[in-house]
Amino acid sequence: MSLWSRLSNVFRTDRIDRDLDDEIHFHIEERARELMAEGRSRDEAVRQAERKFGNRLQLREQSRDVKMLPWLDSAITDASLGVRMMRKNAVATATTLVSLSLALGACAAAFSLLDALVFRPLPVRQPDQLVYLSFPTYVPERPESETFNDPTFVRLRDAGREYVDLFAMSTQVIRTAQFEGATGAREPIRTQHVSGDAFERLGVVPAAGRLIGSHDDGQPGASPVAVISHAFWMGRFGGDPGAIGRSFLLQERLYDIVGIAEPRFNGIEPGRPTDVWLPYAMYDPRAFGNAGFNWFRVMGRLKNGAEPHQAQSVLQVAFSAFRRDVVSGLGPDRSPEREKEFLGTPLHVRTAATGVSPLRRQFERPLWILAAIAGLVLLVAGSNVANLSLARAAAREHEMALRLSIGAGRGRLIQQVLIESALVAVAASALAFCLGAVAAPAVVAMLSPSNDPVTLDLRMDWRLASFAGGLVVIATALFGLAPAVRASGVTPIAALKGTRTGGGHRTRAMRPLIAFQVAFGVIVLLVGGLLVQSFARLSTVPPGFTASNVLLLSLETVERVDLERRRAALLGVLDHLGRIPSVVAVSSAEYNLIGRAWTHNVRVPGTAHDTFETTMTPVTHGFFETMMIPLVAGRTYSRHDVDRNAPATIIVNESFARRYYGSETAVGQVFEETFFDDGAAVQHEIIGVVADTKYDLRQPAAPMLYLPMPFRSAGTLHVRVSENPTTIAPQLIEEVKTAGPLFRVTSARRQSAVIEGTMLRERLLALLSAFFATVGLVLAAVGLYGVLSYSVVQRTAEIGLRMALGARQASVIATVLTDTAKAVAAGAAGGLAAGLFFARFVENLLFEVKPLDTWSLGLPLGALLLVAVAAATVPAKRAAQIDPVIALRYE
Amino acid sequence: MARQDALQGSLHLLVLTLLARRGPLHGYALTVQIEGMSNDTLRVQEGSLYPALHRLEEAGWIKARWATTDTGRKARVYEITARGRKQLESEEERWKAVTAAVGQILKQA
Repeated sequence: MSLWSRLSNVFRTDRIDRDLDDEIHFHIEERARELMAEGRSRDEAVRQAERKFGNRLQLREQSRDVKMLPWLDSAITDASLGVRMMRKNAVATATTLVSLSLALGACAAAFSLLDALVFRPLPVRQPDQLVYLSFPTYVPERPESETFNDPTFVRLRDAGREYVDLFAMSTQVIRTAQFEGATGAREPIRTQHVSGDAFERLGVVPAAGRLIGSHDDGQPGASPVAVISHAFWMGRFGGDPGAIGRSFLLQERLYDIVGIAEPRFNGIEPGRPTDVWLPYAMYDPRAFGNAGFNWFRVMGRLKNGAEPHQAQSVLQVAFSAFRRDVVSGLGPDRSPEREKEFLGTPLHVRTAATGVSPLRRQFERPLWILAAIAGLVLLVAGSNVANLSLARAAAREHEMALRLSIGAGRGRLIQQVLIESALVAVAASALAFCLGAVAAPAVVAMLSPSNDPVTLDLRMDWRLASFAGGLVVIATALFGLAPAVRASGVTPIAALKGTRTGGGHRTRAMRPLIAFQVAFGVIVLLVGGLLVQSFARLSTVPPGFTASNVLLLSLETVERVDLERRRAALLGVLDHLGRIPSVVAVSSAEYNLIGRAWTHNVRVPGTAHDTFETTMTPVTHGFFETMMIPLVAGRTYSRHDVDRNAPATIIVNESFARRYYGSETAVGQVFEETFFDDGAAVQHEIIGVVADTKYDLRQPAAPMLYLPMPFRSAGTLHVRVSENPTTIAPQLIEEVKTAGPLFRVTSARRQSAVIEGTMLRERLLALLSAFFATVGLVLAAVGLYGVLSYSVVQRTAEIGLRMALGARQASVIATVLTDTAKAVAAGAAGGLAAGLFFARFVENLLFEVKPLDTWSLGLPLGALLLVAVAAATVPAKRAAQIDPVIALRYE
Repeated sequence: MARQDALQGSLHLLVLTLLARRGPLHGYALTVQIEGMSNDTLRVQEGSLYPALHRLEEAGWIKARWATTDTGRKARVYEITARGRKQLESEEERWKAVTAAVGQILKQA
């Protein structure tokens, strides 16, 4: 019989027993038949046959012993003994299980998130051949750009042919579509424009119908077709084959659905699956041949054998040549430094094997940090398990000694303890698996605001399974083996005699573990503290306006109308809303103050080329009053300013005034500038200066220029209300519909929610690291308490003796605490050093917090001290209350 | 007890010999054969044959399968393997050597 079948026999004891029973049954039946043939009654024949056969049970045992590997059988015995022991120590077991599973679950969740966002290759043909292009922009908020314009793309594609096939895929944009005709509901869909060769280069095939092909690349606007993703097909059309051939209305054009992409492909951005692909040529017609319209990523598939650097060298030449052409067309009006920077811009060829993801850029580092923190907590939890099982091993010294003295091998004892650790680890990983399955999606929900959810494919596949399995194995080996070796090191005589000479060793073995635990705890506390402080500071940064009770209603014009009608209708809506009692103030702006939708370079006065970037914010009258932005000088807009056609009156913020006019007063100044693409230079008069506001809470306030709303779009209504903005929103949406049938509210958000949306990363890090820091602290406390209580029990006799000899309580307590206190101090020092090193990895995610601050260092140490004192109190008290008489009699 | 011990020591040899000469047999048939051949001298608790069979099976000298008997009942039938035949040869030789030696001692004593 092979080893495998023996191994499997262990888990098939039932079948073996059944086989044996059948065989025995057959034997007895045959014998009985023979006896019956000799003339006995059936009953008697059976009885006699059984007697002749002998003891069936004993026989079964013997045969089973033969059929199974004895050690595996003993493993099962050990396991059931282990389960019994775990039941007996329910509290210790529960602590162990909860802490381990929490940490393991967090690790598993972090892994599945990282896997989905960072590691997993795109499900296309040879993903390692895929690349995308990017270049530095020299703008601090967005250091690298990956969007290109049509003329650059054409030049690059032709230049790179020898090494790489370039194709275009626009960034994903959420647009509203109507599938049920012009009167149907408007549904937000994630759209992406792709060049005709994109699917072919990627190696994506249709699940039904056809994909977008080269013939869709003809004249701009000539091929209104769409390919939908398999998931969207299932979700929106319920997998109806009739979806192909249906059409939908998007940006006032009718698109025909011609095909469905294969199920595994949902675009190239992890976290943001695409619903609908449209042909490149169907993008805004103004984009074609226009070098100012950067709207798509340039992707590429390297030819067989081609290296990225070969592609880079030829593409760089074409890229630089194109930029030279652009500059020579602009004339001399530029600063030489910027021109040099512009012309010398490098072009990067980056791998797109795992897709291209802005989400990844934003969250990869935070996720790694959280994974590392979860790993540290796992170490803390693991040390706890080791300590608990050390203590338990000590408690079982007697049992072990007994077993040793009646001939059990040391290997057998190690096996017993290891199997118990493995049992704990397996139970914990089962719990962890459930925990991870809940935790990972919860984290995904924290990655994005609720109106733009992230969809990560968090599948439970072999990668996750092997990761979790590996963790369990490591955890068992790391935290089970030491106690196991210790347990087997018992000397039978000493232990059986009951002398406690071994006691000292054991707490000595626990102390390094305590030091480690404290060190890991301090690291988690230090880093977690930094992240929490950073978030706390960031969320209390005043934005320069009062965000609470402001509701933002984004509007869309339902039909194409001229500017005058739009202006009149919008002013009508403002008037109507202003009359509602619960509306305190109302105005409209083209963009919200948070974010930087429109920037313009204004020339610095007195210089030839220098410019500075200013944020442009077109607003209606009442804007500063609604947002409660203080007026510093001059006046704000009146209805009259907004009614006039030309944006001749402008308002600037203090930063602008300082930058442009130095110390001079800005009000009343006039300057000439062209703000709109099609407009001529206009004389603008500054009528007011207002206080600074922030477009990003992390950044200092930037120069900002307000101008009267030009009514190019319906903009966003800013409404300050006197009650809860969320509850009043539906009523206001109805009021907008009544007042201006021309408009439709596309979204209603609270201004404070918009600000919170810019701090998702900090919030995620702060919440989760605070949680882990708490867990780590509690675990460290549990560990400390366990070791101290244990050492008090161990030394009861010694303490009793010393007290009998006249030692004072204080010195008794000191004896118990000193060694452990030393371990804690060593751990804290080591933890601080390691924490400061670790903090360097989070430093660029921090806002106005430095690792070496008093608070940053004091917080973890203070928290640890508090917890250590709390954990030590009870054991110390117990030591002090030992009655010498009882303790000595005990011995 | 003495009779049992005598049998236990040589049970392997007996089983292998029977299986080698008579072909596949089930446990009950083996019991009957051993009893018959030894004129009931080797009469033991019948059940003790089975652990011996399982040990032989474990050693790879015999193999077992479920088969249907002439009477149409399911029985576990044992069959000697090639390795079993080799083992039988060497055990037979040893047995002969031992009995020869014992006979020699008995004669000379």
